[in-house]
Amino acid sequence: MKLVRAMVVARKEWQEIRRDRLFLALCLVVPVVLMLLFGYGLSLDVENIPFAVVDHDDTPASRDYASHFSDSRYFDFRGRLADEGAIDRLVAANALRAVLVIPPGFGRDLAAGRSVRVQTVIDGTFPVRAMTMRGYVLAINAQASTGIALEWARAATGADERSLAALAQPVRLETRNLYNQPLRSVWSMAPKLIMVILMIAPPFLTVLGVVREKESGSIFNIYASTVSKAEFLLGKLVPYVVISLFNALLLFLLARYLFGAPFKGDPLFFALATAMYVVCTTGIGLVISVLVRTQTAAMVVVAIVTVVPAALYSGAIIPIESLSPAAAGVAHLLPAMYYAQVATGSFLKGVGWPVLWPNLLVLAGYAALLMAAGYLLFSKRPRT
Amino acid sequence: MMSRMDWRDVLGRGLELVRKELLQLWRDRVLILFLLYVFTVDIYLAGSGLSFSLHNATIAVMDQDMSHASRELASRFQPPEFQRVAAPGDPRAAQQLLDTGRSMVVMQIPPRFQADLGAGRQAAVQYLVDSSNSVLGLLAGSHAAEIVGRYNLEQGAARLAATGAGGRLPGVDNAQRALFNANQNEAWFMGIAELLMLVTVFAIILPAVAAVREKERGTIEQLLVSPLRPLEILLPKVLAMTLVILAGVTLAIALVLRGVFDVPIRGSLPLFYAISALYVFTTSGIGLLLATIARNLAQVGMLAIMVLAPMMFLSGMWTPPEALATPVRVLMAVSPMHYYIDAGFGVLLKGMTLAELAQPLLAMALLGALAFGAGLARFRRQFA
Repeated sequence: MKLVRAMVVARKEWQEIRRDRLFLALCLVVPVVLMLLFGYGLSLDVENIPFAVVDHDDTPASRDYASHFSDSRYFDFRGRLADEGAIDRLVAANALRAVLVIPPGFGRDLAAGRSVRVQTVIDGTFPVRAMTMRGYVLAINAQASTGIALEWARAATGADERSLAALAQPVRLETRNLYNQPLRSVWSMAPKLIMVILMIAPPFLTVLGVVREKESGSIFNIYASTVSKAEFLLGKLVPYVVISLFNALLLFLLARYLFGAPFKGDPLFFALATAMYVVCTTGIGLVISVLVRTQTAAMVVVAIVTVVPAALYSGAIIPIESLSPAAAGVAHLLPAMYYAQVATGSFLKGVGWPVLWPNLLVLAGYAALLMAAGYLLFSKRPRT
Repeated sequence: MMSRMDWRDVLGRGLELVRKELLQLWRDRVLILFLLYVFTVDIYLAGSGLSFSLHNATIAVMDQDMSHASRELASRFQPPEFQRVAAPGDPRAAQQLLDTGRSMVVMQIPPRFQADLGAGRQAAVQYLVDSSNSVLGLLAGSHAAEIVGRYNLEQGAARLAATGAGGRLPGVDNAQRALFNANQNEAWFMGIAELLMLVTVFAIILPAVAAVREKERGTIEQLLVSPLRPLEILLPKVLAMTLVILAGVTLAIALVLRGVFDVPIRGSLPLFYAISALYVFTTSGIGLLLATIARNLAQVGMLAIMVLAPMMFLSGMWTPPEALATPVRVLMAVSPMHYYIDAGFGVLLKGMTLAELAQPLLAMALLGALAFGAGLARFRRQFA
């Protein structure tokens, strides 16, 4: 293998990319646009939830309890409903997403020291949203309930503040949110978006670049030339790896400065792992382009093997522990999961070499495997 | 003016062209296989084994008290929300667990926990959450708040009884009821969401690819010199694709949504088909528009991603409109997919009727007519 020849192939490829202005522009624009869209559009923070109250009790106690919800920034109080009859219709029409129903006797029961049961009806259509609402309701209710218990204990015993707290709240839970203290979803998402976009874009570029040559027939020039298999593949790969690395840098800058995600880890380690990951995903494109014959088929196959695994089987949205065993098995077979851990670790957790070196190793192994597969599968004398 | 005979001619020619388009699609074996794959396996994959809720979140309990009370509290962190993992020996090991992601939560119960409780003092429990996934971080925190709140209610009542002020402590239990998907079965949401997304993807990609391929091969000129007007060329194409997509929808609903996931189809299926047909037909205008901009398949592929990604994120499937900034919400209002999602979930899951969905359907039809008109106009200007 001669490096010079590989570089000539690379230069030819680069020139071809450069001359297709629209393609080049899209190469550089698509990842950035995706990042902006996901970053701004995929906010999982559920705020301003349209919220109403059905208060059958209508006492100071019930109004006070309801105000814990309507005063929070999560719920947007839209008014009171006379009864439960209209709830289903209003929630179906997206006019409301959560309704608190307080039964009659709420104030009376609490005043008598009895526990009461209220109900929150939530829109269950979109499970992520419903889960988040559930989390808010649980947290707000726990707080309101503790307050009620404290108040009762004060009235019952007349004890001082300290012993009251010990009385009504024997265990104080001190929750600390590590790594993403303000629970900003864009901080969580940004590093994983880098992973998802770098999983999808590089193979797309690569297959389109390589298969185009097959479809137009210009690949026969290569078949007939003295360029060896390795030289051709390397030369083809280099421009796309370079473009993708440039994209990776852009994505990093967007995550860091536009979305404000903190970067606490080792930049060198992150850069190295990113480069390895880009080689992996470009390699996926290479293997696919060796296998298929038309650009349409190439795009289709890339979509299948990258989009779903990157989004769903990488731990990006759903943690690996929550996947079914089969899905978790799939996740371990793909590079996305390993890089997702690197991205999250480097951005939010501030961990590097000591913790994540096995991930780097896996990515390197993966890259090597893909290159080998591409080399073995590519033939200068294809059966036609 | 056309006579009756002319109309019959036009219709006959149109049907012949629809047949030609269907035949052409049928012969593209890769495409057919892909369609079969996505409308069955892909929807199945998206819906199965995935869960957004707090499910098996790993919790490591660092019990420094090793008492009956501490074990009792720890035992309340139970499946399905939590799963216990090996306890760390010291704070450094605990930090390591969180850094490596082997545990999502570390709960530290202090020494003398039982003694403090027994003496009527307040005990503080540290609860460290890996919030690098913000939604799960929130849920892990609020579930803990609820568990400890309940524990406090029991313990507090006992303490109050000890002071002689009665053995009761009032609290509020907030039961939650999720409408439309009572058990929060994620497969229902993911399955339907994936189906609606696929319909959108194909409604744009199929016509775009078909038109560009004719452009690339030059066969479009053949059609143009034939005695057919642009509309007569395009309508059969779009009709054929609508039929193919509806066939995919049928497959998905019968085999996957109903067959595997048991989605309760609460509304009228014919209504859903009518809505989908209208949507596919009108949205194909966007695909035609792309085809007039792009010169080859590579470009059309990239353009399609550029158009589809924002549509998906502005569809309201992941982020509710009320959580978005106003300018983004305006964008959402002009995305036809947003209305299709509303109507699709409305019919399939909420059992809404045509009258109840009049508003989103009208908006969808209007936007679709605009898109189709624009696509047709540009196509005509470019070719005729």
